[in-house]
Amino acid sequence: MSTRVWAFSDPPEVANEVAAAANGLVNGAGGGFTMICLDKESPTLAGQEKLVLKGKGPLLGSPEAEAEALARAARQEHPDVILVGATRNGREVASRLAVKLGRPCLSEIFGVALVEGSLRGKRNAFAGKLLAEVAAQLPCIATLKVGIYPLLQPSDSKARVFDVGEVPSLTRVIERREKGSGTVDLRSSKLIVSAGRGVKKKEDLSLIEELARLLGGAVGCSRPLSSDLGWLPEEHHIGLTGVTVHPDLYLAVGISGQLQHVAGIKDSKVIAAINTDKSAPIFQASDYGVVGDLYSVLPPMIKEIRQRRGQ
Amino acid sequence: VRVAVCVKHAIDEAELKVDNEGKPLLVGAVSKMSTFDKNGVEEALRLRGGSGEVVVFCVGIPDAKKTIREALAMGADRAEHIVCDPTSLDSLATSALLAAAIERSGKFDFVICSEGSSDTYTGQVPPMLAERLGLPYVGYARKVEVSGPKARVERALENSVEVVESPVPMALSVVSEINEPRYPTLIQIMQASKKPTEDLTPEALGPGGKVAGSWVLGMKAQAMERKRVVFEGTAEETAAKLVEALSNEGILPR
Repeated sequence: MSTRVWAFSDPPEVANEVAAAANGLVNGAGGGFTMICLDKESPTLAGQEKLVLKGKGPLLGSPEAEAEALARAARQEHPDVILVGATRNGREVASRLAVKLGRPCLSEIFGVALVEGSLRGKRNAFAGKLLAEVAAQLPCIATLKVGIYPLLQPSDSKARVFDVGEVPSLTRVIERREKGSGTVDLRSSKLIVSAGRGVKKKEDLSLIEELARLLGGAVGCSRPLSSDLGWLPEEHHIGLTGVTVHPDLYLAVGISGQLQHVAGIKDSKVIAAINTDKSAPIFQASDYGVVGDLYSVLPPMIKEIRQRRGQ
Repeated sequence: VRVAVCVKHAIDEAELKVDNEGKPLLVGAVSKMSTFDKNGVEEALRLRGGSGEVVVFCVGIPDAKKTIREALAMGADRAEHIVCDPTSLDSLATSALLAAAIERSGKFDFVICSEGSSDTYTGQVPPMLAERLGLPYVGYARKVEVSGPKARVERALENSVEVVESPVPMALSVVSEINEPRYPTLIQIMQASKKPTEDLTPEALGPGGKVAGSWVLGMKAQAMERKRVVFEGTAEETAAKLVEALSNEGILPR
């Protein structure tokens, strides 16, 4: 029996990652996967088959409209699994679809497999303390953890158009501001120096920035610095509710290491920490730790790196 | 202004223990109001203003009364507690119960959830609830401004911020940066137990009792295999040791 899988993402940037997972699913089970494009065919998206959903107005950018369009097409085409990238918009689309179609919905899973008429996957729970194995009966919906799968290459493929008709939207986007152009995307950074409450004043972030610049890395922070103090824009916030990162080196400076923060850095290759409190949980999550005050440790560290480079 | 706010009584992830085999000790684990739900309650109180009503909705075990009382202590007016064990419910089932309870409590101007719970963090209930209630919905709100029958909401996405206009009544999920939750005073905590809380059963709400279509097969502790080498000493010594260690990992120049 062949299994039909749909792949979809808003924004489309991570769609080819969803495609890689969809492709893995159908390769094992026979069947095919279909990439869902909104509004128009997109040559940058992977998939042997593409289904273009077209409405009276644009669909992409409104999770409400996207979910309704996907639901109308799914009622005609009956996919067994709809895989959606677990972005903020993607989570809304998948959740709405689940209600509209009356299908179960798994959230932010990875390591997906089809087993005896069900979709299975793993997911992080309790701020990454636990790994859960979850399952949903087919037909179902799932959001897929992104940032971990390799991308499937785009392919020349036939595109079918599905007219979804007029799709209402109760809300209206009146402005869209791209965040911090010029700032580094932490998700793809190889080296991150991250600041926490150990930093006493906003001006002192220059020390963190200097080290990051020296190492060719990016600056991150724990939640208090962005959300409570506003010293850095929200896109620098690493953790459960912020960005999940997986650099070669994550250097936590003055970060105590609450579970929510560690949830966002678990996949780093090497984690190092500098903290005054020997019992801070960050040392349990680190490969290398320095018990000390960042204000006295960072300057000689910067000097040492410069010396090694012969600067 | 009438505001419905949903809160979850969640196991405290920081306090959760595992046994020798890595299995979580869920029974009897310390529970608390899901971290970000405090931001939901705070925003509900702000939107209510001086007059109006904030009603707390909670699906949870009898012990969830602790979480409900905390929301009432913060300033919510009354609560509806759907008493059941939610571990057997998936988001579809939970959102169905909440939707049924909210609908029988009359018209609300705002239905508020936080973006996700601190235990499972699926973030599914808020949009599912909006979909079930047929309300306009803005997720991941970090700023809400109401003017008459309309609201302007800033929502935070991964790489952009959107300003969305929505008619009121509406549903929202909020992120933690939206506000700073208040701490109730001792007097407020004492008064909270006098505020009305109604107990409901899933059966009384009808459709919510149906069997979930997704489930958890098992949970175990994630192995966190780190070297945990700690350097102590003078700043100069430890800085040099750290740089040396990172050089040996091939990350910093040798």
